[in-house]
Amino acid sequence: MSKHHHNDPLPDTVLRVKALESLLVEKRLVDPATLDELIETYETKVGPRNGAQVVAKGWTDPAYKQRLLDNATAAIAELGFEGRQGEDMVVLENTDDVHNMVVCTLCSCYPWPVLGLPPVWYKSAPYRARSVIDPRAVLQEFDVELPETTTIRVWDSTAEIRYMVLPQRPAGTENLSEEQLADLVTRDSMIGTGLALDPESKA
Amino acid sequence: MSVLTPDRVQEVLRKGGSARLDEKVSAQFQAGDQVLTRNINPVGHTRLPRYARDKHGVIDCDHGVFIFPDIHAATGEKTGQHLYSVCFTSAELWGENTKHPDDLVYIDLFESYLLASG
Amino acid sequence: MNGAHDLGGMHGFGPINPEVDEPVFHEEWERRAFAITLAMGSHCKWNLDMSRYARESMEPAEYLSTSYYEHWIHGLELLLLEKGFLTEDEIQQRMSDIAAQEKT
Repeated sequence: MSKHHHNDPLPDTVLRVKALESLLVEKRLVDPATLDELIETYETKVGPRNGAQVVAKGWTDPAYKQRLLDNATAAIAELGFEGRQGEDMVVLENTDDVHNMVVCTLCSCYPWPVLGLPPVWYKSAPYRARSVIDPRAVLQEFDVELPETTTIRVWDSTAEIRYMVLPQRPAGTENLSEEQLADLVTRDSMIGTGLALDPESKA
Repeated sequence: MSVLTPDRVQEVLRKGGSARLDEKVSAQFQAGDQVLTRNINPVGHTRLPRYARDKHGVIDCDHGVFIFPDIHAATGEKTGQHLYSVCFTSAELWGENTKHPDDLVYIDLFESYLLASG
Repeated sequence: MNGAHDLGGMHGFGPINPEVDEPVFHEEWERRAFAITLAMGSHCKWNLDMSRYARESMEPAEYLSTSYYEHWIHGLELLLLEKGFLTEDEIQQRMSDIAAQEKT
């Protein structure tokens, strides 16, 4: 939260966490195997690859895309992604005229089932503070330049609705498979701080 | 509720904990309505950010009825209120000299944060 | 509450500095902080809104100079004490014990 995007914790934080875990396990309030399962789930199983698959399907299947826009929660669940911190989803479509960007200024709300856990920058003060007041400067930092004629819509996740951006499909991708298309969908493009990759860049 | 066992982790995560309530609550607003956010400064929990208080916006949509967090945090009581997506212009939030006055900010706001306006 | 967490529109924080290809967790303590917070939530002695409020209640200078999972631990500890799961003394004692053990 300070000048460094990821600073060292307060001196006794590590010790405090160890103490809390030790006490909670000893009192049988948490099961150590449960802790491992939780960590493994979010470290290795749930991540932006989920959302990329949703986007790729949206790009190739117009009926699915419509379902994404009409009832994102149900459409995303069709691919098996659902649950904690994604119970009520809305998908935001980027177009030539509109670019969407998602933030949670008040804490760090993020659509876990499709994107996994948020990156440090998303949770930190600079992004949370600036995205609502100067989104174009934020996008510049991410090397995204948009025409002046594009409207920017910033979505502040202040309640339990979780947002995912459907980035525009890059040109020259007509012959790519759904899986190859998913490779072009970056995590940042689904937050709105990036665009999907050009197929050349993946070659 | 009790200790979460490892075999239940996936099921619990999949089920999640939606804050949506299956309650019939009448909606004060609908898409297109002009609203003014209240100037509230509670010491307790609220999800009306300071930058969006006492500001004019337009209802973009009604998300439906959700657990109102201000009360939920204070007492654990689950009271249902309509949750709206409200659209504000950059000019309205940050002043007419803002660089891109027509950029928009959408904020999810509960009905009790809003007054009818316009 | 009008806490430091209410960051929308604030100036002065400098560049965002996104880390390329950052790991999900940077440190072991973050993994543990994440897991114990979620696991303790299953007792349903508090709800998510209470959790958020607990995190928000950090003293502003401390909130702004600490990281996300430090906010989580602050909030978790507050709730554990409030709901009577643990006492301050127990936590302090355990911290001392672990510190002593680690020195040997």
